[in-house]
Amino acid sequence: MAEGGTWLIVGLALSLPFLLLALFGILWTIAYPVMLIWAVLFSTKKLNQQIADTTSREALLRDSLGRDPLTTIDGGYRSDITSSGIVWAGVVFGPSHWHLLIGYINNLIGGSIDTFQKVVSAGRAEAMQRLRESAIANGWDDVINVRIDTADMAPQGGQGGVKAVEVFAYGTGVKYG
Amino acid sequence: MVNTETIPGMMITETLGVVSGSTVRAKNIGRDITQGLRNIMGGELVKYTELLEESRQEAIGRMVADAMSRGATAIVNVRFATSAVTAGAAELFAYGTAVKTE
Repeated sequence: MAEGGTWLIVGLALSLPFLLLALFGILWTIAYPVMLIWAVLFSTKKLNQQIADTTSREALLRDSLGRDPLTTIDGGYRSDITSSGIVWAGVVFGPSHWHLLIGYINNLIGGSIDTFQKVVSAGRAEAMQRLRESAIANGWDDVINVRIDTADMAPQGGQGGVKAVEVFAYGTGVKYG
Repeated sequence: MVNTETIPGMMITETLGVVSGSTVRAKNIGRDITQGLRNIMGGELVKYTELLEESRQEAIGRMVADAMSRGATAIVNVRFATSAVTAGAAELFAYGTAVKTE
């Protein structure tokens, strides 16, 4: 009897990971449609809010400085630079699954895929705004030689993993004397 | 450390070769699940942004250590490269030219 009890415990312990996996699978099949509907209803609104938020912060900063601190010129345009150092900002940004669906349908027809364009440019604007903010926070007057990289977070385009891009902006912060 | 070819206001006297630093990092599976759920709704994936920020800091730190060991005083023309090894694990690579300045 005691022997049987021990085996039962061992069996349970061994099957625990699989049970958890099954439980997760069941939860996923129930939760996913609900979340997809949620995304259908609200993701466009969320994206527009994000764009509006970035744009307003950008405008606020530009108004307070009187100019855009970012330039892509190597070496800058002024000769009175006293100190310099690197600044960078990154953001991982993805389309919602609803936008992915629209994108796939657009892809069949061909032409420009506006939804993806909107998502990626929203992410890029956010990264650039963070670069501005981090440069100002670190006490730099301007950022020269700005470069923007975009890297895919989902390699091989396979199943699983997130569908997102990382936008990474970096440049050299300079201080004028 | 700058990503321009010269340092404004300084003279480069000697180059000490290419220095680099890289790191591969991943978040735990719990984070992967929550970020996967967040991805359905779209928008920013905050934890992945944090992950990349931390790893980039580490890559930069290694690059700077490499430059220090060569006796450099600055690194110019710094470039970054990112590649996703698998979903959720990213390789961050930073490289530049170590120089002596005066």
